[in-house]
Amino acid sequence: MSVTLSRPRRPRATKPETDAAAPDRASPSARSPLKQRLSRLDVKASPYLYIAPFFVLFGLVGLFPLGYTFVVSLFDWRLLQGQGEFVGLDNFAAVLGDRFFWNSLFNTVSIFVLSSIPQLVAAVLIAAVLDQNIRGKTFWRMSVLLPYIVTPVAVSLIFTNMFNEQYGLINNVLGALGLDPVMWKTEQLPSHLAIATMVNWRWTGYNALILLAAMQAVPRDIHESAALDGAGAVRRFFSMTVPSIRPTLIFVIITSTIGGLQIFTEPRLFDPVTAGGSARQFQTTVLYLWEMAFFRQNFGEASAIAWLLFLIIVGLGALNFFIARRISSAESRRATRRIRRRLAQLKGQPADRMEDHS
Amino acid sequence: MTFSRTTAVAGIASAAAIGLLLTGCTSAGNASDDGGDTELTVTTFGTFGYDDLYAQYESDHPGVTIKATNIDTGGNARTDLFTKLAAGSGVSDVVALEEGWLGSVMEVSDQFVDLNDFGGADIASRWVPWKLDQGTDADGRLIGYGTDIGPQGLCYNAPLFEAAGLPSDRASVAELFGGDDATWEEYFDLGRQYQAATGKAWFDQPSFVWNSMVNQLPEGYYTSDGELNIEGNADLEERWGWLTQGVADGLSAQQARWDWGGGKGFVDGSFATFVCPGWMLGVLQGNTESGGGSAATGWDFADVFPGGASNWGGAFLAVPATSEHQAQAAELAAWLTEPAQQVAQFEAAGTFPSTTEAQETLAADATPNEFFQGAPVGAILAERAQGVEAQFKGPNDSVIQENVFQAVLDRVDTGELNAETGWAEALKLTDELVDQ
Repeated sequence: MSVTLSRPRRPRATKPETDAAAPDRASPSARSPLKQRLSRLDVKASPYLYIAPFFVLFGLVGLFPLGYTFVVSLFDWRLLQGQGEFVGLDNFAAVLGDRFFWNSLFNTVSIFVLSSIPQLVAAVLIAAVLDQNIRGKTFWRMSVLLPYIVTPVAVSLIFTNMFNEQYGLINNVLGALGLDPVMWKTEQLPSHLAIATMVNWRWTGYNALILLAAMQAVPRDIHESAALDGAGAVRRFFSMTVPSIRPTLIFVIITSTIGGLQIFTEPRLFDPVTAGGSARQFQTTVLYLWEMAFFRQNFGEASAIAWLLFLIIVGLGALNFFIARRISSAESRRATRRIRRRLAQLKGQPADRMEDHS
Repeated sequence: MTFSRTTAVAGIASAAAIGLLLTGCTSAGNASDDGGDTELTVTTFGTFGYDDLYAQYESDHPGVTIKATNIDTGGNARTDLFTKLAAGSGVSDVVALEEGWLGSVMEVSDQFVDLNDFGGADIASRWVPWKLDQGTDADGRLIGYGTDIGPQGLCYNAPLFEAAGLPSDRASVAELFGGDDATWEEYFDLGRQYQAATGKAWFDQPSFVWNSMVNQLPEGYYTSDGELNIEGNADLEERWGWLTQGVADGLSAQQARWDWGGGKGFVDGSFATFVCPGWMLGVLQGNTESGGGSAATGWDFADVFPGGASNWGGAFLAVPATSEHQAQAAELAAWLTEPAQQVAQFEAAGTFPSTTEAQETLAADATPNEFFQGAPVGAILAERAQGVEAQFKGPNDSVIQENVFQAVLDRVDTGELNAETGWAEALKLTDELVDQ
């Protein structure tokens, strides 16, 4: 009530101000040059000031550490003793010649492939289902996001317990069915599957919601007219929905690539007493970096690993982007070709029809 | 005009906000000094048994509050401490150091205060001499006050022994293993006998047995001069042979260490013996209880250890140079390691004291421990502490123990490696992981 009452008063209160400003606007020459300069500066500089907080913060917590890490990687740098002598690119050479680095890279890629691909396929399908006219929409959408809200540590603890080799739920069920227990933590592929399961559990719903938002932006009337023309649900999904959410799909693919290459919590907690398994069977690159820095205390080599990982992620991100662009442009090329063919057909058709009519 | 006015307002507002933030930060930093009330932070690990002692200290010292953190395992406590040391802040006023990674700490001992500056020299006679030596760096600065030591006895499960037709009362078990002349060969032979009778495993997993064997030697992974001492070390190779043969004979229950299936491994009869330094008694009890067991599960503690006296682990309390309350922190550390408090700590967590007076108290004390079938745990540990000497720990001791030998033994345990390939892998890993 008080709000509505006070409202009408506002314009009146500000009126004198606008009145005072009016003569200024009418005769710009009356303004002092300083004021004028200030106002011009305001127009030009203010936008930068507004976006500055992000860039200042990014520089502080993103760019500076990146540069500093590179500096550290050029030195013999111990965790406790600190900076040693300059060694140039020796740390990079040592890391590239280290079998555990390559092993960790293989594990990372393996877990990434096992998680990202099924995850994206499932996310697109879930989003497509949620995009339909179903009852209790909000309930289903919230449920899909639920795993994302749970902290990764809690998720890892629960899954680690379930995947326990001797006392875990999954092996107990397998045993009850008369099957051999799976060595979830000792063997490489099962351990990768178990970790990928944790990652998928957490991220599928999140990606599904992003894709759902994109799908909802596709105009409904296109769908309706396509349906009237006799296109089935599957056909509409592949020919209309997927192409129109492509930009979002590219975004989701790139973010999940970056996330997938930085997996740490899940493998770290999958076996809390080792850094990625006794035989390093599920040691990811970030986990190896952690071991190098905080267990083996070699900060120089750890920084080199961090930089190599950075370069790999940038490379893969760029590759992703170009492939996605290529696919999209190929698609549109194909679409143009299709339209041209139709046009050609149409040009031929009237003649036929005319003949029919005659 | 209105536009520029809002900018100005926004500018002032953000400046004020930043100012507030800054003052907020500084006032938070000084709060403890201004208020007259001192907050001391303490970080321990494993089962330390200090909770009641903190409360007692707080009530005896009005104006002091203790904010305690306990980290689950020594390995994680090590990472926590080293990360904070490297960051240059965040280390607790009093921090517990483990014997296994003391070598690394000693390389940067100047990051800790010399406790002799805070009256350490006056109370030095409290500790057994070797414990005091361990806590002293090369320049004679006293870095850590000793809390406990890790004399080892043998834990065994009485009902499982009975089921296998072995004697099950404490004295007979000590005799069964050979009493004062107990050897590891005898231990593994009994294991094979037990395994043949029951089809079950003898120990939980090989790495704790290995740690015990290595810690028992006069020189472990390093010689006393600080040289690596693994390749061509006949003592280690011989013990490696016994242990890997035992694993090959099915004596290991292939349990996950520090987890044991949430403690279920101690309850379901998976294995019958367990190597027990004093501090491990609390770990065993805690895990048995969280696995659904109790005193009725039947774990007992025998006054015997294969290969003779052995010391595994033990801790120190240190005060980092970054502490803002060094004197008060040192006072707390000194109080916590007084004989009376060490006895209280033993009663809470089974950690065996490092001061001679507390050791004598426990030796004369035959109080039965309810969980361990009424075993006079204190007296037994005092007996087991006879002849215990500290072993020199090199800077990479804990890396060699955890990333080399434990990792390889896990793979021997699953059958992936055998005695020869395992030893070769251990040497290779040492070479790769340890900068020499």
